[in-house]
Amino acid sequence: MFSFILQRLVIGIVTLFGVAVIVFVIMRVIPGDAAVMLSGAGAGVVSEEELAQVRSKMGLDRPLVVQFGDWAGDVATLDLGTSLRTGNPVIKDIGRRFPYTAQIVVMATLIAVCLGIPAGVLSARFAGTWIDRVLQALSIGGLAAPSFWVGLILILGLVALFQWSAPLLWEPFWVSPAKSLAQLFWPALAVGLRQLALIARMTRSIMLEVLGEDYIRTARAKGLSEWDVVVRHGLSNGLLPVVTLIGFEFSALFGGLIITEAVFSVPGLGQYVVASILNRDYPAAQGIVLVLAGIVVLGNLTVDLIYGWLDPRTRMRGAQA
Amino acid sequence: MKTGRPSNCGTISRRAALKTAGGAIAAAVAAPRWASGQTAKRGGTLRVSNGGDPPDFDVHQSATYLTQFVGAPCYSTLLRADPNDYNKLVADLAEKWDISADGKTVTFHLHGGVVFHDGTPLTAEDVIYSLDRIRKPPRGIVSPRKGLLGNIASIEPGGPLTVVIRLTEPQPDFLFMVSNPYNVIVPKKVCEPLDAQGQGMKRQIVGTGPFRLTQSIDGQIYELTRFDGYFGDKAYLDKIQFFPIKGEVERGAALQGKRIDASFFFPNEAVLATLRKVPGITELRRPTPTFVNLIPNVQRKPFDDIRVREALSLAVDREAFIKTVGPLAGAFYHSIGLMPPGSPYSLSVEQIKQFGGYDTLPGLGGNVAANRQRAIALLEQAGVPKDFKIVIITRGDLPAFRDSAINVAGQLKTVGLDATVDVRDTGSFYTMETKGDFQLVAHSVAMGGSVPDQIFGEGYTSYGGRNYGNWKDDALDNMFREQSREADPQKRTELIKKFQLEFLKTYYQVNLAWVGYGAAHLSTVKGWVALPDIYANMQMDKVWLDA
Repeated sequence: MFSFILQRLVIGIVTLFGVAVIVFVIMRVIPGDAAVMLSGAGAGVVSEEELAQVRSKMGLDRPLVVQFGDWAGDVATLDLGTSLRTGNPVIKDIGRRFPYTAQIVVMATLIAVCLGIPAGVLSARFAGTWIDRVLQALSIGGLAAPSFWVGLILILGLVALFQWSAPLLWEPFWVSPAKSLAQLFWPALAVGLRQLALIARMTRSIMLEVLGEDYIRTARAKGLSEWDVVVRHGLSNGLLPVVTLIGFEFSALFGGLIITEAVFSVPGLGQYVVASILNRDYPAAQGIVLVLAGIVVLGNLTVDLIYGWLDPRTRMRGAQA
Repeated sequence: MKTGRPSNCGTISRRAALKTAGGAIAAAVAAPRWASGQTAKRGGTLRVSNGGDPPDFDVHQSATYLTQFVGAPCYSTLLRADPNDYNKLVADLAEKWDISADGKTVTFHLHGGVVFHDGTPLTAEDVIYSLDRIRKPPRGIVSPRKGLLGNIASIEPGGPLTVVIRLTEPQPDFLFMVSNPYNVIVPKKVCEPLDAQGQGMKRQIVGTGPFRLTQSIDGQIYELTRFDGYFGDKAYLDKIQFFPIKGEVERGAALQGKRIDASFFFPNEAVLATLRKVPGITELRRPTPTFVNLIPNVQRKPFDDIRVREALSLAVDREAFIKTVGPLAGAFYHSIGLMPPGSPYSLSVEQIKQFGGYDTLPGLGGNVAANRQRAIALLEQAGVPKDFKIVIITRGDLPAFRDSAINVAGQLKTVGLDATVDVRDTGSFYTMETKGDFQLVAHSVAMGGSVPDQIFGEGYTSYGGRNYGNWKDDALDNMFREQSREADPQKRTELIKKFQLEFLKTYYQVNLAWVGYGAAHLSTVKGWVALPDIYANMQMDKVWLDA
């Protein structure tokens, strides 16, 4: 097990280094100049001399290799640099925004899991009936509706019906748990609907397969209750691919909330990514992309570990490899 | 309680400013009117939605309302717009001012007892440092409006609270230039060391305005608290909170849900129309000195050929443009000439109709089909092949840019040009524009004032900050200076019109429309007077809540 984890960690570190190189290079090669943005872009023509002064002040006139070396060295000591836009340490900016995004992701995942798995199981158990058809239609609708559209409809609907609009000051969970949960429920719902649909469809598909297995027929022949047959014997054996899906979706959501956060004006990581890239805020963009990549790597590692725990064959294959 | 200003404040009108250039006239002394007749209440927090986070707080280095809206209540200028008459200036930090007989020396006498938010007393040195910082920015500091103060020869102290500005030539518009809402006074003691580091006032606000910045959390809130050391009448509000909400629909929803009290930036008509139907919400739209122009890069072929530029102008049906882009971007207005709608310096209809395509302005009855036939002929004469590919660059986040470009591209196709739109993110767009890496751009330009020196100096001179098309024209620049220095109002009016006629002949820019921004607030918000300029009268010191 230890070598399995070690192997995954080494792969994770190599992946992160690759991401660091790629994001550093991409930020430099995409059209756009940080010096222009820092020189009051939109205020008029800025002379090349003024731009050169700004580049010199920011150290952007140094060779790229030197810039990368300095940045990578700082990252190794967990210093992601200082944001050109906010003037704060990037790690501090991220730390302040991370809880909101994390809470939406967790809440969205909980909504999706708590409703998606039962919906999938029900759909499979009553395959071909009106229950299945209704759930199928809902899940296809959930997949088809983009989360930003759902968010906008929620906002407009809530305003029109109840004169309710999204809050402006978001309470962190540890300050006021109940208020925080209530505030972030709607963004989480907007995002969670798609995950819910995905999980429901995956669960249905797996369960249809599992419920046709011999051991299920045996369980029924033994006279077990339908709950035991479907949940204990069916679901527990069919859960592995669903867990994988949940894990991947969970980590991917951290970087996928950009538009939903904008719609609800939630000060999360998604908005920070956009502002950093649009303003060519190199340290911030590089830092946040690296952190998001780290979350994905960590998420995948966690899924691998859970997979290994649920299915010992995976663990053994990993150790033998 | 009646709202009011200290009785020693002066006012000066644009016409009076013209007259003052010729003789030693002390500013007229009269108390301005401030949303009179209302009983103001003290206290409360005004919640305002801004369209996003301010990129930074350095007003001198900025050109966005995001910075200006948060900064305006915290800073003072020497003079400010009279909220009861946009064409007049009233005292702010300067309690009075004199102009010498030859019009070349302007002396500002500052209020006594003014302190910055950090407790430092205001002196003439602070004013001198601020104005010098704008016109001759230190290394590493960018000043987009340095051209406004380009006529200043020197600034000297005339005493601890007296500032003497010597101009190279008399300039009737000078008081308006120095009073641009962006030309705020910063404390030398705080700003100078930060400038030496190349940082400037990007991370802090230390002004002499009625409010001070007390909280700033990126992405969440910018909170201003009443500054009790303010030299004028104390503000009525206890606090102003700015919340960054990017989307207009979301800002409208926040207002409907009473999460906010006001939002001062609504280009889109559909959002404003929705708010118009909601009881308890007051909304308005007013023309602002913001124009949308099509700008060819004259350094690129074939746009160095005036026939091609005229063909672009002939191809555009301006009435159709305004009908389409107006509701999306607020580009509802048009003017007759280069000055904003309703300007006393507007040209006559007959004068504007002599320029290709301008007869299609609303109500002028132009023949679009005939114009386009002429455009095709001009393009042929200039050797531009049919289906010549043209790319209009634009930024994707603002309708005034994006939708203007899309509309113009469609119209250019009618004269055989294969025009497409290249939608860029902000960073990429401004880099391409700054480096001249484009053929055509449909650009929205927001001015911080509407006097000729501001509009022409920034928008229509070779050295103006908005010369994105990279033209060079000494004759036009000289004409600009000539009108700028003319003291006689009648002669100056003639020169201003002459400048416009000469500029329009060059087709360096193709004028499309003027933008009017919407604003909306709960009816409980009182005392805010909307001026035809989004930057003016945003100090909020006279705003109160009738809650």
